[in-house]
Amino acid sequence: MNSYVLLIAIFLPILGGILTGVIPFKGRTTRNIFVETVVIITSIIMWAIILNKPQDSIEVLKFTGDLVFAFKMDGLGMIFAGLISSLWPLATLYSFEYMEKEEREGSFFMFYTITYGVTLGISLSGNLMTMYLFYEMLTIVTVPLVLHTLTREAILASRTYLYYSLGGAAFGFIGFIFVLVYGTSLDFVYGGVLDPGKIGDRGNVLLLIYVLAFLGFGVKAAICPFNKWLPQAGVAPTPVTALLHAVAVVKSGAFAIMRITYYSFGPDFLRGTWAQYTVMAIAIFTIIYGSARALKETHFKRRLAYSTIGNLSYILFGVTIMTPLGLFGALCHMVFHAVMKIASFFCAGAVISKTERTYVFELNGLGKHMPMTFGIFTISGLALMGVPGLCGFVSKWYLAEAAVASENVLAYVGIGALLISAILTAVYTMTISVRAFFPGKDFDDSVNSGVKEAGVRMLLPLCIFAVCIIVFGVYSKPLTDLLLSVAMGGM
Amino acid sequence: MDFICNFPFFSIMISMFSGIVSAVLSRKAAKWLNLISIWVIWFLSAVLLYYIFGTGEIIVYKMGHFPAPWGNEIRAGLLEAGLALFFCSIMLLSMTGGRKKLMGEVVEEKHNLYYILVDLMLASLLALIYTNDLFTAYVFVEINTISACGLIMIRQNGRTIEAAVRYMIMSLLGSGLLLMGICMLYDITGHLLMSNIRDAVSSIYSAGTYPVPLTVTIILLTCGLAMKSALFPFHTWVADAYGYSTVSSAAILSSLVSKGYIILLIKIIYRVIGFEVYRASHIIDVVFVFGLAGMIMGSISAIRENDIRRMIAYSSVAQIGYIYMGIGLGTRYAMIASIFHILSHAATKSMLFIGAIGLTDVSKGSRHFEELTGSGYRHKIAGITFAVGSLSMVGIPLFSGFISKLLFAQAAVLNTRKMLPALIVLAISTILNAIYFMKTVIRIYTPTEEEGERITMKQEKVYALTCICFIALNIFIGMCSQPIVDWIGAGIDMFA
Amino acid sequence: MTEAFILIPVVLPIVAGLLLEFIRKLNKKTMNLCVVAVLAIEAVLVFMNMGKIGAEVELFELTDNLPIYFKIDNLGIMFAILMVVIWLLAGIFSFEYMKHEDNERRYQGFYLMVLGVLIGLDFAGNLVTFYMFYEMMTITAFPLVIHTGKKEATMAGLKYLYYSLGGAYFALFGFYFVFKYADSLTFTPGGVGINAGSHETLLLICALFMIIGFGVKAGMFPLHAWLTSAHPVAPAPASAVLSGIIVKTGILGTIRVIYYIFGTKFIRGTFVQTVWMSLALLTVLMGSTMAYKEKLLKKRLAYSTVSQISYIMFGLSLLNETAFEGSLLHVLMHGFTKCGLFLAAGAIIYKTGKTKVDELRGIGKEMPIVIWCFTILSITLIGIPPTGGLVSKWYLCMGALKSGIAVFDILGPVILIVSALLTAGYLLPITIQGFFPGDDYDYSGLEHKEPAKTMTIPLIVLTAGAIGVGLFSTPIITYIETILATF
Repeated sequence: MNSYVLLIAIFLPILGGILTGVIPFKGRTTRNIFVETVVIITSIIMWAIILNKPQDSIEVLKFTGDLVFAFKMDGLGMIFAGLISSLWPLATLYSFEYMEKEEREGSFFMFYTITYGVTLGISLSGNLMTMYLFYEMLTIVTVPLVLHTLTREAILASRTYLYYSLGGAAFGFIGFIFVLVYGTSLDFVYGGVLDPGKIGDRGNVLLLIYVLAFLGFGVKAAICPFNKWLPQAGVAPTPVTALLHAVAVVKSGAFAIMRITYYSFGPDFLRGTWAQYTVMAIAIFTIIYGSARALKETHFKRRLAYSTIGNLSYILFGVTIMTPLGLFGALCHMVFHAVMKIASFFCAGAVISKTERTYVFELNGLGKHMPMTFGIFTISGLALMGVPGLCGFVSKWYLAEAAVASENVLAYVGIGALLISAILTAVYTMTISVRAFFPGKDFDDSVNSGVKEAGVRMLLPLCIFAVCIIVFGVYSKPLTDLLLSVAMGGM
Repeated sequence: MDFICNFPFFSIMISMFSGIVSAVLSRKAAKWLNLISIWVIWFLSAVLLYYIFGTGEIIVYKMGHFPAPWGNEIRAGLLEAGLALFFCSIMLLSMTGGRKKLMGEVVEEKHNLYYILVDLMLASLLALIYTNDLFTAYVFVEINTISACGLIMIRQNGRTIEAAVRYMIMSLLGSGLLLMGICMLYDITGHLLMSNIRDAVSSIYSAGTYPVPLTVTIILLTCGLAMKSALFPFHTWVADAYGYSTVSSAAILSSLVSKGYIILLIKIIYRVIGFEVYRASHIIDVVFVFGLAGMIMGSISAIRENDIRRMIAYSSVAQIGYIYMGIGLGTRYAMIASIFHILSHAATKSMLFIGAIGLTDVSKGSRHFEELTGSGYRHKIAGITFAVGSLSMVGIPLFSGFISKLLFAQAAVLNTRKMLPALIVLAISTILNAIYFMKTVIRIYTPTEEEGERITMKQEKVYALTCICFIALNIFIGMCSQPIVDWIGAGIDMFA
Repeated sequence: MTEAFILIPVVLPIVAGLLLEFIRKLNKKTMNLCVVAVLAIEAVLVFMNMGKIGAEVELFELTDNLPIYFKIDNLGIMFAILMVVIWLLAGIFSFEYMKHEDNERRYQGFYLMVLGVLIGLDFAGNLVTFYMFYEMMTITAFPLVIHTGKKEATMAGLKYLYYSLGGAYFALFGFYFVFKYADSLTFTPGGVGINAGSHETLLLICALFMIIGFGVKAGMFPLHAWLTSAHPVAPAPASAVLSGIIVKTGILGTIRVIYYIFGTKFIRGTFVQTVWMSLALLTVLMGSTMAYKEKLLKKRLAYSTVSQISYIMFGLSLLNETAFEGSLLHVLMHGFTKCGLFLAAGAIIYKTGKTKVDELRGIGKEMPIVIWCFTILSITLIGIPPTGGLVSKWYLCMGALKSGIAVFDILGPVILIVSALLTAGYLLPITIQGFFPGDDYDYSGLEHKEPAKTMTIPLIVLTAGAIGVGLFSTPIITYIETILATF
């Protein structure tokens, strides 16, 4: 298959998004059908690409001497693109029902769809320059989504998001420059592109730059201390927080870190150095911090946002182990967490949409009225905790396996952090489920009268996610084999 | 062709004479004369550039056929011709874009005065670019100062007069230092023609005679020009001057005037003192530090501003800081980065000012942020222009600002000692830029309930056309930068 | 394929429980009949599996190298039989008891599910399967704890959940390392090979973590606090099985990890053993002391469980055969006894509403059968000859003396005896006060309050069982020796 198809996959949703904003649609349904069609077609094309595996890179534009815009699909990109394109149609379907209650749907779906294309652009970037471009673009096209409700909080949140993201990219840029100067090329090559001849004795400087780049790209992946933007962004409509801030944006940050660690700087260069210990410590700290803060938080969506912060650092912890097994664990969690977290957020969104209740302590007894929603929430909570039989256990297992195999003492501490986070996760998810299903003897259910279960357009994606969580929990071998081969450097 | 060798001279003369003639012309005639003369010079410069590119030779034009070192000389290489062309383009666009506003802001009787000043300004800029004689440079520096001052003051309200006075004081101080430096240099070397001075300086330097006077000269020259081009900490006049003058003035002042002085400084570094000598004097380190300081302080002041034009003005301070940082890094590559940034900044800053004008027009003429909310929807093209300018300032790929950043960073990496501070400050500066520019972009695109005036593209065709040209220019510089970088590199090599 | 039939006892109650949760329109009598039927069939099936020792089934791989694998061995069958018998009896008891609670259907549904999960736990053939069912057990037992819906029940339930999960995660930590450094995860008598290499301390720490982790369920200090909150607030039949059976899963986990994975050789003489023994003895003493001071009847019994289970833990920690025999015997004996005691307490609460010990004066005259059973069970627990409690304690003390471990070989028996005295102190007064309330008691207020037969018969059977364990201790010891022989 010709690599030109990659361009179609990326630019079709961008174009479709722009059209959504420009064409005056006759009614909501027409617009929704148009949007969903664009998204589904893109996903189909993407899957066709994945199945056909075009090997070549396609150069679009020569920027300056060494800077080229090129796209290429390798193993890592394939995984991320596959994940995104599977989730987007479902998320779009969900958001139709959700957004009926909000205004200015036209501009919302415009940026929502454009973001799809930009995220695919990140995953299919063939070199650091292209990825950096699409990374910055991702920030820009998602700001209007955070801003959407136009409340004072939303404006402040979008500013925070913008400053943090652009700031992070600025530091990531430094890393980019160094790879440009000290590497053989900007392309993504498994094992890294650094040229030992050029490095000479400036190794320490490069390590410092790596840490700066990790922190810079890590802003999008919500590491401490740069994660303030994520809970604040919870003010956006749920489809935004769910898809973007639990899946697309934050996973792009993790993806970028995977790229610079394994495909630009190279794990062999970094392993065993003080740089590795620093970034691993940061990841471990964030794991605990995220889970602990989630516990204190009583706002439903913000609690899930903190949970995302913790879980993203599971992925980063896997990356910082800097072995193929570590990357493998990270990839597993990237995929599985996306499904789990999107399910949780969608449940939260359904609850907010149907009841207007945003705080955890208001959720008492709702389990009776919205059994499917809370049931699926419980499943996703159990999965996040790592109960065997659900997918969360599998990804945690592989992360721990990689940590044990690395024989790195800090990694052992990391396993402890994972387990501490697991118990904290249990507390902050189970309290919600218990409140919903077991409100207590004295609870007066009349406050919940009139609450209805979520509609089909919301429930269908939720059920699909729940099924995925269970299926991947017991039968994940085909997927994990694929991820393992990618982590080892294969296609 | 010999005839083409006259072009630099012609450019300067045409501009000067149109200025003089405009004194007696009516307003409309003056306007047309101004426009035509800029276009003519534009063409001349284009042809010159093409010619030099083809032949690869430097044109040295002896004024009045007096041979060096007694006569006056004009020298045109790749870089000079290209710069002249570029500056003309910017001036054209700025004048066109701000013309409508000009009508409103300036009193009718003063209009032709305005055009006189613009012509003189252009003449002096061209002279600064082309001249090979140090004293001539000084003369035109003074002409430049006066016309700039006039441009600031043309609006004649209290604020502008105060701004103009401030500007004058700073600027004349700078000129004074410059003059002292030139005198000392003449004293030591006995020459006024730049190439000759350079030879003399290098022999002085290697002989070791006059070490102290040489250093002092370098300091005076650098300080003088730094003051005039608003390097930190000599930047306090900028906000008022750019903030309160007319739009075209602001655009021209921020894009071209300060750059003229920087180009003169670069010329002095290469052609008068000699790059090696300059580097050895460690003044370059001081320049580097102040450049860094300017980058940060300029942005910090911009964040605190509530008036959009003053904010853009402070942003200029920061950008000038970038350029001086590049000079301060002291490598050829860094110099290329600085010159590229001169071009990039000129294009972008004018664009921002022109865009800001459109936005304030639909906000009841107010320049404060509260009233500017949502103006992006009311005047679409202005909003897009401003947004593109902001993205370029922040350094988003596809726009010219990214290439500047890239070049600066690459240059920094190659210099061991100064690398880390440069990179870190570069990153911090990006963040700061993001803060105030992006905040403004969000603000202008936040819909509000209030109905303000709306302006569509059809209503202001000329303005819209200008904006589109600016955007295209920015993206062009951003995307096809390799030829430009190559040209600058070749130009620098020819420069010396 | 026929081997898969050993899994029917696992699947049947789970499916039945789930059906019960979802089928709403069921008449109470029908429901009770179904439950009893399922429990009875279950008991039969488990007994049938006794003949199938050695059968194994691998279901599927959870992920790479983690197969879900079941195998029936002597140890597992023993636990399973205990569980299924107790479950049946407590189940019959609950029909009457639950009349004064709501949501019976939910209760019975989860009650059945937990049984299925527990049988799965007993038949688990490797660490993965065991861990998976362990987590499932925590989750399915949770609704039983918070059943009454009172605020303190919910708080206690959440405490139970978090402590149990925390304990499971401690064990999981060790599990990760065992996976890498051990030859296999399958339970092999005597232990699988551990290739510790230079990581011996690391693996010892893992062993300790796993002991502490499983010890949480077994109520071992320091993570025992959930037990005394959770057991009292649950409905009585649930408390009975929680105290009688579910805590034993912690014991089973510890046995599996130490005797069937690490192997006693790996642990013997190390700091792990010392810490383990210390914690166990500490808990024994602490539990009895707290029970002695406790005024709420069910909570007193809960503290008693804490103490008694640590007898078992102590025995296991000695790592010799005699102590092992004592521990397993005590498992059986305590199961029957504690279950019976809780059912008796439940009967008292059901009929009189009295929860505190001081209120129970003269109760013997009102409910003679119940209090007689209570008395016999108390005596068994204390260990007064000729009851079974003495036999198990005897073996434990003998095991301690034989072990030759400094300090503990004397300290152990001493503490066990002190604890026995305390046990007498906290159990006998209830009986005495019950039958002989004293002169100043208002005899006219007495009524005949014997509960219905569905409550008293299970109680009597349990009492008989407790006595039986004591009488037939020798055949049981012989059976346990067959388990030991495999090591």
